Amino acid sequence: MNPESLPTWLNPEPWLDLEFTAADIERAIGADTPNEKTMAALLSPLAAEYLEPMAQRAQAITRRHFGRTISLYTPLYLSNFCNGGCLYCGIAGDRRAKRAVLDEAQLRHEMEAIKSMHLEELVLLTGERMPEADVPYLKECIEICAEYIHNVNIEVFPMSEPEYRELAEAGCTGVTLYQETYDQVVYEKMHRWGDKRDYFSRLNAPDRALKGGLRTVGIGALLGLADPKFDILCVYRHAKYLLKNYWQAGVSISFPRIKPQLGGFQADFPVDEKMLAQYIFALRICLPETPLVLSTREPQRVRDGMAGLGISKMSVASKTTVGGYSDDSEESTEQFEISDERNIPDFCKMLRSKGLEPVFKNWDSTYREPASYEKV
Amino acid sequence: MSKDILKVGDQELGSRLFLGTGKFSSTQAMIDAVKASGTELVTVALRRFNRDQAEDDLYGPLSQLENVKLMPNTSGAMNAKEAVRAAMLGRELSKSPLVKLEIHPNPHHLLPDPIETYEAAIELVKQDFLVLPYIPADPVLAKRLEDIGCAAVMPLGAAIGTGKGLSTAEMIKIIIRDANVPVVVDAGLRSPSEAACALEMGCDAVLVNSAIAAAEDPAAMGAAFKTGVEAGRMAYNAGLMPTSEVAVASSPLTSFLSSDD
Repeated sequence: MNPESLPTWLNPEPWLDLEFTAADIERAIGADTPNEKTMAALLSPLAAEYLEPMAQRAQAITRRHFGRTISLYTPLYLSNFCNGGCLYCGIAGDRRAKRAVLDEAQLRHEMEAIKSMHLEELVLLTGERMPEADVPYLKECIEICAEYIHNVNIEVFPMSEPEYRELAEAGCTGVTLYQETYDQVVYEKMHRWGDKRDYFSRLNAPDRALKGGLRTVGIGALLGLADPKFDILCVYRHAKYLLKNYWQAGVSISFPRIKPQLGGFQADFPVDEKMLAQYIFALRICLPETPLVLSTREPQRVRDGMAGLGISKMSVASKTTVGGYSDDSEESTEQFEISDERNIPDFCKMLRSKGLEPVFKNWDSTYREPASYEKV
Repeated sequence: MSKDILKVGDQELGSRLFLGTGKFSSTQAMIDAVKASGTELVTVALRRFNRDQAEDDLYGPLSQLENVKLMPNTSGAMNAKEAVRAAMLGRELSKSPLVKLEIHPNPHHLLPDPIETYEAAIELVKQDFLVLPYIPADPVLAKRLEDIGCAAVMPLGAAIGTGKGLSTAEMIKIIIRDANVPVVVDAGLRSPSEAACALEMGCDAVLVNSAIAAAEDPAAMGAAFKTGVEAGRMAYNAGLMPTSEVAVASSPLTSFLSSDD
């Protein structure tokens, strides 16, 4: 396999090896109508020297479009049963992980704990498709969660359009699904067995989700697996493709970065904080209206600094173990290590000290019904 | 001089500046800006009503303000059905007869859907709302919405949050010329001078949010918009000098014409 076989809407090849001058970078930072070339310029090594002006511009754009606010959400692990072969994952099938799945009573406990923290947006997570956590199970979980809070999303295995529709009808608003890496050679190496080996099935899952009636899709690359410039350019092109083809879709981008975890996986292309910041600023400048998301994988210092600087949405008080919020279930292995362990009041205090308003509820269950792209 | 009152349906407003309430750094900053702006009408998104957490709720603190009417809006709705449902819920919670009908199916540019807006307006007028639809600056759509009983029309100056000002000025002028209901420029304004321009042009009011919320000092910017809107309205009432492309010639071309044969 090679990148040539990527669909034209995704293939970043034409922009990968462009050379840029200082003037190009300056023009890109101020671009009125950014495009692939702008993005490539902002990702170039030379642009790394322009981090401060990029940050200034990213902040101005973020403030204009999202205001002085940060939307909050939290992840909820339903199950860590997984037979996946992801080389980098702490709960992959061959890891000696403590497995658990929430039953209804446990899920309700978790939801009561989450509700008591006033959170109104949730992402439900599982491993790969397993008998313990399949689509009917997810549907039940979504229905239960929707009783408690306004905005329920999923970050699970890819599924078919009818399956997505079933979940949309149960009250699911959106799906997060990272391609992990857009580099097919690395992708094949990283995903040793199972359904996830099908690169294109995963790539096209956001399309199926939107056709199935979900309103939002979150995409991203697990930074560190492959050349990050390649991956970020692909993320940019993927987002643009989705925006063009599903004009009602909300598309957001996250920036997961490989951190040490169970199994001791080392990134071949480590992304440091400055590189991460450069990618976030570049995407903010080139996609001014797209929510950019930063999770608690990142350390406190980076989260505090990036809030409002391109980033418009953040997870908070995250637990990555099954049953982590109510703490009444058996201890399970976490998928990745949380770096920012602050509770909600402390996190909100930090945001407010930076003149940013934490927004808990930015959606209403009144709008909870499948979207439609059908042309009459 | 009698007070220059703006009537929207049966609602009387002493200020021609309407405020949006999102995007502020804190509820207090928003309340301060509302007060400084002298506005008598604010709009608040149903999705930002939060009955479960006072700290996150925009509606509660706004409802405490005297002399400020509340207009729930349907932001977040993708179609007519959702907007109608949101409007009903908003009225139930706020008891306000006013609704800002806002349907933007694309969550990125937030531009309004004229077709769904029209359909929702029909239903909401039937349900006795005072409907203020946020619309593209389309003179035909504006008349259609007036015909079915909307209390005002709110064409956009530019896309929400862009600060591109009165990009649609020529269309808005046509809307104003033809309208029998108040015309409110909603979205796109960046500066008090642009608000003044809108009022000078003959708009009945402007609705501002991002320009105030994203300013360095939102309360001060609220006050600046108050002054801009007042100046624009005064200028409109005073009657602007006509503009002219050509100088008046000292030797007129038509001096040879006589009125007696």
